[in-house]
Amino acid sequence: MALTCARCGAQNPDGNQFCQACGTPLSAAAVGAPPPPPSGPPLAYASPPPLPVAYASPYYNPAGAGPQAAVHRTPWVLIISAIVVLILVMAGCGTAIALLGANAPGFGGSVAGLPSPTPGTSPSPIASPTSAPGATSASNTAATVPLPAGWTVSTQDAETLIVVNPNSTGSVSVASGPSNPRMTAQQNKDDVDKSLRGKYPDTAPCPGSKTTTGNINGAQGIFWNLCFTLTSSGRSSPAVASLFVGANSDGSVYYLVMLATTQSNLTSFTAESKPVVQGIQWKLK
Amino acid sequence: MRCDHCSHDVPDGAFCTRCGAHQGTTAESGNPKTREHRYAAHPGEHVAQPSVITTLFPHLGHHKVHEFRWAFIAGLAGVLILYLAGLIAAAILVSAFLVPVLYLIYLYEAQVYRDEPAMVLGFTIGGGIVVGIVFTVFERIVYNPFQYVANPLANASVNIGGLLILGLLFPVVQEVVKPLPAFFLPKRADFPETVDGLVFGIASGLGFSLAEALIGFSSVVTSLPAHVAPGNWIYDLTTLAVFQPLLQGSATGMIVATIWRYRRGRLGRREIGAVAMAILAHIAFSAGTEVLKETSVNALFILIWQAAIVGALLIYIRYLLHHALLDEAAHMGFAETVCPSCHMHIVASGFCPNCGMALTAAPNAVKRSRRPRVDSMAEAPAKKR
Repeated sequence: MALTCARCGAQNPDGNQFCQACGTPLSAAAVGAPPPPPSGPPLAYASPPPLPVAYASPYYNPAGAGPQAAVHRTPWVLIISAIVVLILVMAGCGTAIALLGANAPGFGGSVAGLPSPTPGTSPSPIASPTSAPGATSASNTAATVPLPAGWTVSTQDAETLIVVNPNSTGSVSVASGPSNPRMTAQQNKDDVDKSLRGKYPDTAPCPGSKTTTGNINGAQGIFWNLCFTLTSSGRSSPAVASLFVGANSDGSVYYLVMLATTQSNLTSFTAESKPVVQGIQWKLK
Repeated sequence: MRCDHCSHDVPDGAFCTRCGAHQGTTAESGNPKTREHRYAAHPGEHVAQPSVITTLFPHLGHHKVHEFRWAFIAGLAGVLILYLAGLIAAAILVSAFLVPVLYLIYLYEAQVYRDEPAMVLGFTIGGGIVVGIVFTVFERIVYNPFQYVANPLANASVNIGGLLILGLLFPVVQEVVKPLPAFFLPKRADFPETVDGLVFGIASGLGFSLAEALIGFSSVVTSLPAHVAPGNWIYDLTTLAVFQPLLQGSATGMIVATIWRYRRGRLGRREIGAVAMAILAHIAFSAGTEVLKETSVNALFILIWQAAIVGALLIYIRYLLHHALLDEAAHMGFAETVCPSCHMHIVASGFCPNCGMALTAAPNAVKRSRRPRVDSMAEAPAKKR
């Protein structure tokens, strides 16, 4: 037996609980009721039929008045608890890993025992760029830098040359240019400290390292080491910069040498880059 | 009543339960048909409101939104406490896991995976993690950050080589590989709606983000002392806990949602724009961050830039999802159910006649509690014969 909607008069298949045309519950009063005879204007232009007594609002509430609680699968206590447990577990893991990592052999010693890059007391002889097979050199308006076999130039502009070793485990930056206003070596060092502190989250003097004075191939200046975390694009490395900054006698020219590598690789990289640093030829005096 | 827009006879209500149009309103409060002042997944909000939870967790009901928001805030508070305590390694780990774990709880809460939790979670979050591991290892081989350490005494300058790699190459490749796990999800026909594709894409992107963060920061976590001076870590932690996962999840979610729309034969300008938006936003996020960092801009401005990019992505996702829901919910039959947004018992088709929520975005438990659709009830006796 077809079910006729008491509200809109639509015919519904037997078993429907709601009208498939308008959603009105098909009440007992409407079941089996004959469809209203077609009369008056076409349906598309008809006024809505008067609501019968059996009509029920779509906002019905079988259990009583007022809004009902929605279906909840996860109690809020569990959601918050999951986050708290995450924090506690990760805090424990992070602390344990950090403690184990800090006790690993070689980390502290390699930084603490780092010699400054060739801190000579007098201008060193310039290494011959042809002293090793495959060696060459790189040059800009500031300096000429020997390139041992396998070393390549990463970046070069008027003031700065950055060269990397064959394994790309570190870089040597050699830079020189005019200082305006004139700056002493100490002022240049302060600028470097400020610049690196601004860029990297935890820049600080490496544990056990010392600040000394000396020169590199005629440029007088200051040696020191900074440790920091090199972060970029969602990745990071525990890095160290073994630095030298200097200035000429009247402060109009600055000199900079920076060895950048991972903290665990500093000792070997310093030894590897020694020919590069020893061979720097400053062009600005 | 008769809907002002689709002209169907529908139950009385502020919204047409068939097409979702807002009834009895004028154009002064926005187009009643597209009703962008009433976001289809959460009608209490405007489509242009960049809300994180209601955008990326679209199945949550009214109360659940608040619970997840508080859980997120609790997680961020935990990160802040660890930072202030100098436990940076721990703070990094919490930051990396926070949003992915929250999303895992959401997937359970909403039962988006229906009867296939292992398959769906494996191909979304699990697949994202695998892709993230492979890509991040490749990234480490290709990119040596020490090559691009700028001269700290030179005027602010940007290394073009590094910028092209970090700001262009990596974002584009990432947006190509991140949707792959969701793209190859088996039994896709069981999850036909755009909101399903969006959630799967977000899950895949968050899996990728988790792997990227853990591998990217592994050397720092293992080398930092247990307690260090907090320093400027708060900026990196904020990116790691909030903006990086939201970017990765949002961008991939938009692309996978577009793939779902394409499979339904609904690829239009809005969907093509979503793919372009996802890629461009990722490029802008990465390249902008690098440029601002290299030019020594205050780290707070970097966070503001990242927030602006993520906010724009969230708004576009809502725009895409809102129109997809209006399109797809219109084909549901009448049923008796409880609206997850206003919690009223209703007799409705695709939209709650009271608040206008698209019922295709209801949690699966609510969908299951719906009475069988009229047409399927009508077919049942015929099949017996």
